[in-house]
Amino acid sequence: MNETRALPESPSPTRPHAIVADEAIRTATSATFGALVLNQAGPIAVEFMSYGCAHCRVLEPVLQQAAAMVKSTEKIVRVNVAIDHELAARYDVNVTPTLVMFLDGAPVARAQGPRPHLPSLLAVLTGPFA
Amino acid sequence: MTRTPRTQPRDTPILLFDDQCGVCRRIARWVSASARDRSGATRVIVRPIGSDPAALRALHPGLDIWDAYATIHLLMPDGSMRLGGEAVAQVLRALRSTAWFAWCFGISILGFRPFQAVLNVAYAILADVRPLFGCDSCGTSSGWVRAIRWVIGSLRAVISKKPRPQVTPHGSPHPIAALRA
Repeated sequence: MNETRALPESPSPTRPHAIVADEAIRTATSATFGALVLNQAGPIAVEFMSYGCAHCRVLEPVLQQAAAMVKSTEKIVRVNVAIDHELAARYDVNVTPTLVMFLDGAPVARAQGPRPHLPSLLAVLTGPFA
Repeated sequence: MTRTPRTQPRDTPILLFDDQCGVCRRIARWVSASARDRSGATRVIVRPIGSDPAALRALHPGLDIWDAYATIHLLMPDGSMRLGGEAVAQVLRALRSTAWFAWCFGISILGFRPFQAVLNVAYAILADVRPLFGCDSCGTSSGWVRAIRWVIGSLRAVISKKPRPQVTPHGSPHPIAALRA
């Protein structure tokens, strides 16, 4: 917690979400939500989050793992509610993290504050589409 | 997200703060006011972390936005970062109103810095208790803070005769009402 840190050359293995966080999970904004979620066929999970949310931070590495495991069948997209208030309001998201599962552009299920454990998170992500 | 103005000297450290946290905003305002010289120049640039990971990486390639929200970060002109209590000590050294006592954080006895150790503990406690001051963005509290919050919540529920809100297994999800306000 208290240290002086020099510039790292590569992401730390103890921080699996660092640097690569935005590569496995795409970020949607109000402008791109239609193209990335609503106009897409198949299952998509949207994580409504904010970077200042400690629960989202705990969930992040597990979500990255889950995203890698389900990437052949399901896409995962994130929405930063600190920026896109309208999207959060449109889908009645009052807490972060909230996962909303979309199928062919329509919301079919949701989970608030899912457990940051891989098996339960995978169940949340894939359960509605089983 | 605003970038560092060209007029700012490059040898000024940058203090990042959680702009979703009321406690942090108040501290940042105080640092910003205290850091300004009579000439208008500033000894510490104070800026919010914001919501753009790429903008933070542009500021410092080793800066991770999740880490920035978890612990206070001070970006030094030499490219290093000071975190937590070390960042606080460096800021106090830079401010005219606190520099007179901040030298003590550098005192070392057989390699141990007692005043810095006290500051580190003080910072850790403050970081833990931020939710008690109504900080909606601080999320997961440590066990002892959750216990205090539970007692306060229970007392409020008894007084107002309302049921306690549901809590998820790892604590309440982060309410975003404050972000919409």
